Parts: sequence; C-alpha cells; structure tokens
Amino acid sequence: MGLDRHPVERYAVWIKNAVRGDLGMAARGGATINSMVKSRLPNSALLAAVAFLIAVPTSLLAGVLAGIRPDTKLDRILSIGSLLAISIPEFIIGVILMMVFATKLGWFPSSSILLPGETILGTPKILVLPTLTITGALFAYILRMARANVIEVMESNYVRTAILKGLSMRKVVFKHVLPNAMIPTITVIANNVGWMFGGIIVVEFVFAYPGIGSLLIMAIDTRDMRLLQSTALVIAAIYAFANLAADLLYGLLNPRVRVGQ
Amino acid sequence: MNKEPLLKVENLSVTFFTPRGTVTAVREASFEISRGEVLGIVGESGCGKSTTAFAVMGYLPTTAETGGSISFEGKDISSLSKEDLRELRGNRIAMVYQDPTTSLNPSMKVGIQVQEVISEHLNLDQTAIDEKVVELFESVGLADADQMGDRYPHELSGGMQQRVMIAMALACDPDLLIMDEPTTGLDVTTEATILDLVASLKERVNAGILYVTHNLGVIARVADRVAVMYAGQTVEQSNVNDLFASPRHPYTSGLLSCVPKPPGTGEVSSRLKRIPGFVYSSQEANVSSCLFAERCPIADSECTTSVPALEFIGQDSQVRCFHSDKVEPDTWGGVEERISRKDVASPIVLTGNEITHQYGKRRKKYMAFGPDIDLPVRALNKIDFEIPQGKTLGIVGESGSGKSTLARAVVGLIKAQDGLLQLHGNELDKTVENRSNEDKSAIQMVFQNPTASLNPKLKIKKTLIRSLMRFSKLTKQGSEERAAALMEEVGLDPSYLERLPSELSGGEQQRVAIAGAFATNPEIVVADEAVSALDVSVQAQVLSLLEDRQQELGNSYLFITHDLGVVRYVSDDIMVVYAGHIAEYGPSEAVLSSPSHPYTEALLSAAPIPDPSAKPNPLRLEGAVPTMREEFPGCFFASRCPRKLGSVCDTEAPPVQKASANENHVINCHIPVKDLEIIQA
Ligand SMILES: Nc1ncnc2c1ncn2[C@@H]1O[C@H](COP(=O)(O)OP(=O)(O)OP(=O)(O)O)[C@@H](O)[C@H]1O
Ligand code: SF4
Ligand code: SF4
Ligand SMILES: [Mg+2]
Repeated sequence: MGLDRHPVERYAVWIKNAVRGDLGMAARGGATINSMVKSRLPNSALLAAVAFLIAVPTSLLAGVLAGIRPDTKLDRILSIGSLLAISIPEFIIGVILMMVFATKLGWFPSSSILLPGETILGTPKILVLPTLTITGALFAYILRMARANVIEVMESNYVRTAILKGLSMRKVVFKHVLPNAMIPTITVIANNVGWMFGGIIVVEFVFAYPGIGSLLIMAIDTRDMRLLQSTALVIAAIYAFANLAADLLYGLLNPRVRVGQ
Repeated sequence: MNKEPLLKVENLSVTFFTPRGTVTAVREASFEISRGEVLGIVGESGCGKSTTAFAVMGYLPTTAETGGSISFEGKDISSLSKEDLRELRGNRIAMVYQDPTTSLNPSMKVGIQVQEVISEHLNLDQTAIDEKVVELFESVGLADADQMGDRYPHELSGGMQQRVMIAMALACDPDLLIMDEPTTGLDVTTEATILDLVASLKERVNAGILYVTHNLGVIARVADRVAVMYAGQTVEQSNVNDLFASPRHPYTSGLLSCVPKPPGTGEVSSRLKRIPGFVYSSQEANVSSCLFAERCPIADSECTTSVPALEFIGQDSQVRCFHSDKVEPDTWGGVEERISRKDVASPIVLTGNEITHQYGKRRKKYMAFGPDIDLPVRALNKIDFEIPQGKTLGIVGESGSGKSTLARAVVGLIKAQDGLLQLHGNELDKTVENRSNEDKSAIQMVFQNPTASLNPKLKIKKTLIRSLMRFSKLTKQGSEERAAALMEEVGLDPSYLERLPSELSGGEQQRVAIAGAFATNPEIVVADEAVSALDVSVQAQVLSLLEDRQQELGNSYLFITHDLGVVRYVSDDIMVVYAGHIAEYGPSEAVLSSPSHPYTEALLSAAPIPDPSAKPNPLRLEGAVPTMREEFPGCFFASRCPRKLGSVCDTEAPPVQKASANENHVINCHIPVKDLEIIQA
C-alpha cells in the first residue's frame, strides 16, 4: 500500500491513477474501489432518479396550482404542509416513516440491505421508504419555489399585458406565466442538486441503502482514507456535472443568456 | 353632434380594500371620448389616473369596489360577462403602458407577442398574420420591420419596445386606445419620436384615444381635449387650447404656473409659482368640502362646508369649483421678480480640469492573450468646468451621457482616473475618504431618489444630528437646535424630526435631504436629478427652496437634470454633455439660443412645450447614446448627428469654437458657428 512513502507522494500517485480511472484498493475486504463504486453508483442513481421523477412533476404542478390562486384553501394546505416538511430534517422524516411503515405496519423493510445475489430491481420494496423520504423534502422545496415564482410572474406587468390582450386565462398561464416562472424554478432546483445529494447521503445512511452515500459513511467509519477520497471525488464529479447541466439548461430556457451577444 | 359618444364615464369611483385600510383612488370621475379624438387625462401622482384607465379596461384587483358607470358604445363595461370582456380587450379597446420593458414578455419573441393578439381576435391564416405583423411594425416606424419579429425584448431599446407595444395595441384596429404614460421614463429625445407617432395616429386611425400623463408639455402636444384630475375627481374639462389659455379651476391654473417656462431665449425673470401642500390623500370616502380647499388660494367658507359639483360653464367645458369665475392669472400670486445675476461677477469656487473617467478594466479574451474584450467604458472625457460663487452650473444630456459620473467625481464618490479638481485654487483629493473635513463639508450632494438617500431606520433627527455633529463641532444640544432650525428653513415643521423617512411624502423626504445637505454650510451643492421624481407642484416648491437657500447663503449648485425647462430656470451656465464629451458650454441664455451645437439643437427640439399652439420642431434623434469604448478619431456625436457634415466628422475631432461674441460660450463642432446660425434660423 506504500504506507512507508510520504503522504504527498502517495496523494500524487493516487491522483495519477485516479485520472487514469483506477481508484486503487480499499483498505479492507480486498475489493477494488472501482468495483465498489461501480456496484453502488447505479443504486444511488436509481434512488435519485425515482425520487426526482416522482417529486419534480408533482411538486411543480402543486406549486403552480397553489401560485395561480394564492390564499385559497388548497394553497394554504400546500404551503403549511410544505413548510412543515422543510423544517424537519430528512433523518427524522426517515425515522418516522420507518417507525410507522416498517416497525408498526410492517409493510416495508426498515433497512435496505441487500443480501448476496439480490438486486434492487428484484426487491423494489426496499426502495419505497428511502424514495418517500427524499421525495418529501424535495416536493416541499420545489413546491415552494414554484409557488413563489408563479405568484411573482402573475403580478408582473407582462402578464397584465397578456390578460388585457383578451387571451383566455388558460393561454395566459401556459404561454406567459409558466415559461417565465419555470426558468428561475428549474435553475434554483438545478443549482441545489448538491444540497439534494446531501439529503440522499443521509437517507442512504438511515436506511443502510447500498448506495454511494453509505459507501462514504462506511469509509469514514473504517477510516479508509483512500476510499473516502475516492467517493468524495466521485460525488464532487457528479455535483460539478449536475451544475454544468443546470447552467446549460438555464441557457436553453432563457433567451437573455442564449444569445451570443 | 348628438351621436352616442364612444366612451362615457360617469361618476366613476374606485375603492381598494387593503389590509391597511380602504383607499379611495377615484371618487367622481366623469368624461367622454368620441371617435377620432384624443382626450388627455392629467394630474399629479396618485390622483387616480391609472386606476381610471384600468377601470375602463375592466381590469381592477378583486379587492376593488367600483361605483358609477363606464359605458363603451352604450354598453356598461361592468355588466359584461368574462367572455364579452375578453372579446373587447386587445380587440376593440387596447392599451399601451408605462414602462415597456416590463410590459413585454421577456422570454417570447416580440413578433409572437404581436401575433398572439391577432390570432386571438381576427380570423386570419398564418401568412396573413405574418404579413400583418410586418405591416404593423412598419406603421409604427420600426426599421427592419421584417426582421423585428424574431427579436426578444431585451434586444430592443426602450423606444423600440414602446413602438412594439403600440403595434400590438393597433393590431386589431381598436376603437379605443388607452395610453398610460407611454413616454414616462424614456429619454426626451425618444419621447419626442413616440409623441410624433401618437400625433400621427390621430390622423391614421379612426379611434378615440385616452392619453394619461402627468406632463403638461406632453398633453399640449397630443391632446384635443383635456380632463384634469385631482384626488380622484375630474375637476376641469375643456378643449386643450382653452384649458391652457384660460384655466377655470384653481388647480389647473396652479399646475400651469408651476411648470418652468419651456427652453427658449432670454432670462427667466419671474419666479415659479407654488401650490402649497400635497395632493389630498385619498383615505376617506365621504367628504363635505371641496377636496382642493386646503391648498386653494381663493377658498372661502362655502368651499369648506359644501361639495362643488362638476358643472358646464361653456358648451364644451366643465369645472368643479364654486368660484371658477374668480380664477385669474394672478390667482397664485402676482409676478415675483427674480434678481438678475447675469452681470454680477463672482469669484470661482470650484474648477475641474480635464476630468476623465473610465468604468471597468481592459481585459483580454484568454487571460493575458488574444483580442481585447470588455474595453473600459469611457464615461468622461476631459471635462473642463468652472463654478462661480453663488451661481448655478446646469448639466444636461440624455441618460448615459455621463452626467451622474461627473457629479460623483466632483463629490468624490468615484475616483476619477485623471484630471484636477480645485476648490478655491487648492487641489481637492479625488476621493471623499481622503478629503479633509472642511473639504467634505464644502461639497454636498442631493440625490434623485430621496428614499434611497435617507436611512429608513433612523428618525430624521438622528440623520441630521449625525452630520451636524460630524462636521460642525456642535454639541448635542446645539445640533438639536440647529436641526430644528434647518427643518424650518426647508419649510417643514420641526415636529417632523421625530418621524421616520417612510412617514414622509416624496417631496418632504427631498426637503429633508436638502436640509441634510445644507447642515454643513456647503459651498457647492451637487443636485443629481434632485427634482426629477417629484410632481410639478412639489418640484416648484423644491426648486424655489433651492433658490431661496442660494440667495441667503450664497452657495453654488452643480445642477443635473434632463429637463430643459428646469435647467433654463435654475442655471447661470449650462454644459451640454454627450457620451462623456462637452458638446456645448456657456452662459445659459447663449446655450439655449442659436447658434447651438447640433446636439443641443436636437435636445431643444425634442423638449415638449406646455403650449398647444407651439409648432413642434421636426428635428429628431433616433437611438440612444452609444457606450463609448473604443478610441474614436472623429466627432463623439457622429453616429447620430442630424447635421453631420461628412467624412471629416468621422476622422477628425471637432474643434472648440468660440460662439458669437461671447468669449465663454463654446461649441465643439466642425460646422462653423456662422453656418450653424444660418441653418438654425
Ligand atoms: N391595487 C391597489 N391597492 C390599493 N391602493 C391602490 C391600488 N392601486 C392604486 N392605489 C392607490 O390609488 C391611488 C390612485 O392611484 P393611481 O395609480 O390611479 O394614480 P395615478 O394618478 O395614475 O398616479 P401616477 O401619476 O403616480 O401614476 C393612490 O393613492 C394609489 O396608492
Ligand atoms: S371650490 Fe373653493 S376650494 Fe374648491 S377649487 Fe373652487 S375655490 Fe378652491
Ligand atoms: S462635428 Fe460633425 S458630427 Fe459632430 S456635431 Fe458637428 S456636424 Fe455633427
Ligand atoms: Mg399612473
């Protein structure tokens, strides 16, 4: 393992190899880090994707509905509910869900540990509670963003222009309100992808879900520096990539940035 | 003539119910508009003009309650179903708004925004719609009409955006066109081109036009008839010539005498008249007196105990006043002579030599290599000036011409890159931090937006005492007394010292800001658009206050404004700046009369004149002040000059010419002064 060499030198070697795509060996278990990341990354991606696919459309829809007619009953319920969901940290939501649905009702397993030979898709039940936990926080957060942006756009002068053109409310909302309200919403969501990763790591830990997040926690637990560096590197790379995608998306949506000037 | 009018508004009232109480924005508005006629609605801020306009569109918040009636072609707007109202909007009644930048959808091409109205209301196929859009763009004077539709709003200047809005409003040949302050916020030069367009619409379209503005010069230019609003009531209505020649309501007469004389030749020999007080604040719905009684110079006991009604006093004119027959030219006081300062020689207080400033740094595309990107903006270019003691130097120019940069450089808020400032012949440090306390207190500033320049969390007293203690070595006790005295000097009751800025009106806040500037006995007060955000009546009060202070204390002003009437009223000398260069500089009378620099000439011909019989000068400037980045060998004005001589203007910097016999009057132009005089005659 080259522990006799100077830490700086070891770090340099690690970087050199990492650039080539070789993250080295884990300190225990005799597996390569590459294979560990490779087996766990799809699990995390699956969790994130399912949570996103459920949370994003539903929360955008709910946020828009609340924002178009603020101060109605629906809006109040959604606003207060989302405020609650946001103010409770994920690990508490997770634990509560676990107690209710796993311990009390026994509908879903309380931990997501895979037995040898099992895959997540083969035992989709273990996905439910982690997904629900992440979705809860995401849903509340996106709903509030969408609602605030819709309300702001509804009050803008150009929406007034659209209404006084004689357009129907449906056209006003679909052509004028939504495109402009979604630009900042999507941007903020995308720019907070990092924050959501934080949530995923916590949730993976709570449910012992075999993803990259629990790998990171495991590296900390076992003081495996190399594993820690490697998972952090992978997470940072995903984060950077997500932010880049967010910026590109923003440019695609917003003509003021798109133009090459 | 007993045709049904196109629009008839009778006793309209609008009350808003807000969490902070009810606001009666409109209380008794009545007027009519016929086809082919422009009715101007004029009045100060908060008089209910916009609310009236939106009420006609049937567009008020759900918290509003309306009374009276608005009938369009005999049908009451409020009785229409949602669907019928939609059919009217954009189609039969269309609207143009103040602030085109925010009124256009930023993420939609302007062509589509215009198309949308057409396809909503007219039954045309796509090719016909496309053709119509191009036609509309042409008809509102947009260059490249066939390319225009593909642009986004942010790619257009303010004037072009407003033309797009007008095209959109004209798209379905509306019967009624409502324009709410369509030129407010645009540069005078742009305003003039938009007003030309509105004036030409009168002849082209067979619609009635409701034109809302606070600017009497604009009303004189576009309106056939005028309704004057005060505190939500129409107080006078008549045709534009009669209204300007012999106003019958004291408020109208007061408004007219508050407006500084239009730019022209000769010294302004009489002081501005003032309407005391502020617009009646619309809180109570029921009143038992004339709403104007508090401010009216001819109010008597009848006025405070009974409510005047809007009555006909001629075939076509109505007024809401018990004593309209007593309204005369001197209702607002006789002529107050001003003391001429023209021939008074005074020592120079402040001089600036070659003041030069650039914003931003030169950057290369690839760190240290490659072509230059982001060249610095050359905001000021070798500006020379002198301010004599007790006099006023006025600075005019369009937005972006460098006026505020110069003001900031003088006060030391920005560090000018080059040049020399001298106070009584001693060099002044370029930044305010490095100036001595005496120098700091000698030069004070009043900003355009008084709200932004006062600390919102501090009582007025704290703000004033702070600057008094810092600069005048007064004790706490002494500065409290001085603060009270300052308040009285600016015409405010000392009890205002206990208030927060938010509890004052805009005009009152500006007075406090002026009191603050005078707290240190300054020699120079720099006023950057200090009266631009104020209503004419308040503007007259503040101008008059500044004038009084100068007469008593002998301080000088560096007075920045885009309003040529105001600059003519206050200035002894005028500097006309364009893109950071001096175009013309000299005694104000000389600058405002021919010969003038072509830029001065264009500014003068753009200024709206509050006199309906004035013939508009057709000279116009298109576009906006360019951002000067590159070094340009020719004339700074060449890209827009309507009198450009030829290639010499592109290749050689214009010479400094002494204009006429007046040694101090200079014009920077290639055209010989004699020729300028001939072409401008
Ligand atoms: N939605 C609203 N809710 C409560 N008060 C309002 C509302 N809209 C306008 N007002 C109030 O109604 C009064 C009249 O406003 P309005 O905008 O019609 O005046 P205006 O004559 O157009 O003024 P300006 O020249 O400043 O545009 C003001 O006191 C304003 O504060
Ligand atoms: S009714 Fe009386 S207070 Fe009102 S405007 Fe006429 S004179 Fe003045
Ligand atoms: S020098 Fe030429 S471009 Fe410049 S102001 Fe004179 S005529 Fe116009
Ligand atoms: Mg208004």
